[in-house]
Amino acid sequence: MPVKWVLHWQPNAGTTVNSQILTEVSQCVEGINGVKEGRWKATLTFYRPMLREQANMAEFPRDFLGISLPEQPNKYYFVIRGQRLVLEADLTIQTIMERLQSYKARVALNFEGFQYQLGDFQLRVGKVVPNHAESLRGILMEVEYLPISSWDKSHQIMEEFFDIWQEALSKRSLPGHFVHIEPSFGEFGLSEQYTSQHTAIQYASIVAQMIATAQSAQSVRN
Amino acid sequence: MGCFSNVKEWKSFRLVKSRAELKSTFSAKIQIHVEALEILLQGLCGVHRERLRIHEMCLKSGPNLGLVASEVRLLCDLEQPEPAWTVKHVGGAMRGAGAEQISVLVRTMVESKASKNVLRVFYALGYKLDHELLRVGFAFHFQRGAQITITVSSVNKMLKLHATDEAVPVTPGIQLVEVTAPASSENYTEVVAAMSSFCEYLAPLLHLSKPGVSTGVVPTAAAAAASLMSDGGGTTL
Repeated sequence: MPVKWVLHWQPNAGTTVNSQILTEVSQCVEGINGVKEGRWKATLTFYRPMLREQANMAEFPRDFLGISLPEQPNKYYFVIRGQRLVLEADLTIQTIMERLQSYKARVALNFEGFQYQLGDFQLRVGKVVPNHAESLRGILMEVEYLPISSWDKSHQIMEEFFDIWQEALSKRSLPGHFVHIEPSFGEFGLSEQYTSQHTAIQYASIVAQMIATAQSAQSVRN
Repeated sequence: MGCFSNVKEWKSFRLVKSRAELKSTFSAKIQIHVEALEILLQGLCGVHRERLRIHEMCLKSGPNLGLVASEVRLLCDLEQPEPAWTVKHVGGAMRGAGAEQISVLVRTMVESKASKNVLRVFYALGYKLDHELLRVGFAFHFQRGAQITITVSSVNKMLKLHATDEAVPVTPGIQLVEVTAPASSENYTEVVAAMSSFCEYLAPLLHLSKPGVSTGVVPTAAAAAASLMSDGGGTTL
């Protein structure tokens, strides 16, 4: 499966993400000759343990996430980041979790936007919005390089593309920049051959980063 | 046709306590019946049998997790080139007067394939291993009014945690025969009828019943089995 970097928008300190930035980013992709293809959507769900009163919360994971990806319409992914666990399962795993009633799906985030073709690259630009709200919580971008499926072998070309992209975007003087976090896939038991499980881990890492950023911004305001 | 290779061996068994002799004879009978059953099923189902070697782990929620306790089964198919995992949740059985009229158990079941660290994930979520089993035998999957699966297997327990190479039968000489078919709330009466109809063909060898209800041994089973074995299944029962 082709290698993919998932990038997220890091707003400058004291600024927040807004839809104008999203518009500028999309225009920038088209400006470097990205051809708009169609829509895409991924979802991420936070699961919380259902505990009896005397339970010790610390015993149960607080970072248990469920992820659905558009390129795998029949699959569902679980990530427990703190324990470096990722699971690929059928969609019915969601029904099983509902029946078990030990964990409940709480907040869900949608990642949605447009997909672009740019030579051997496939780009996706998307807004991050809560499931039942319109407020923009973030901007996410996927950069997929179709010819290579080895994470190690793809590094140079992905870095080069990232540099070109950052340079193109910098001309628009936006209050922030895209960041790429590189998780340690090996710690999750994955090889360097790219799979959707790698993508699920990148999404989980980005959401953790977004939460951390929002929490630190909150504490600064307080 | 018995389980002993030569007369000398049989004689040495006779010197052992009668209980042991009886046990071995009983095992032989079951072994003959299993082979006969396989021949019968081969003829009935029209498909090849599949070998079955499934490591089944039953996990229960730890204390304090969930407002009610929950149970989930992880099945690892050891017959595949790479162990293939399935998560299975079995729900409550259909109850009431209608359920009692039906000759089969109807219950909800949801399955999902899963990647190989599914056990670690459930442990991380707070589930504990309650017990584990190894089922060894064979299965037939076929279409006969419904998508029916019949499995014939011995249920084995592991003497050490996850040691599937060192499993021993829970009830030596006794095999479990299960017939299952998926159904929806719209079609389950047709599926029940298809299963019952199929099970009638097995009547010469065994009677199947709802789980938990004992039916005993078919009196003519030995003769039927011998007949099946002697001409390789050409006999019409």
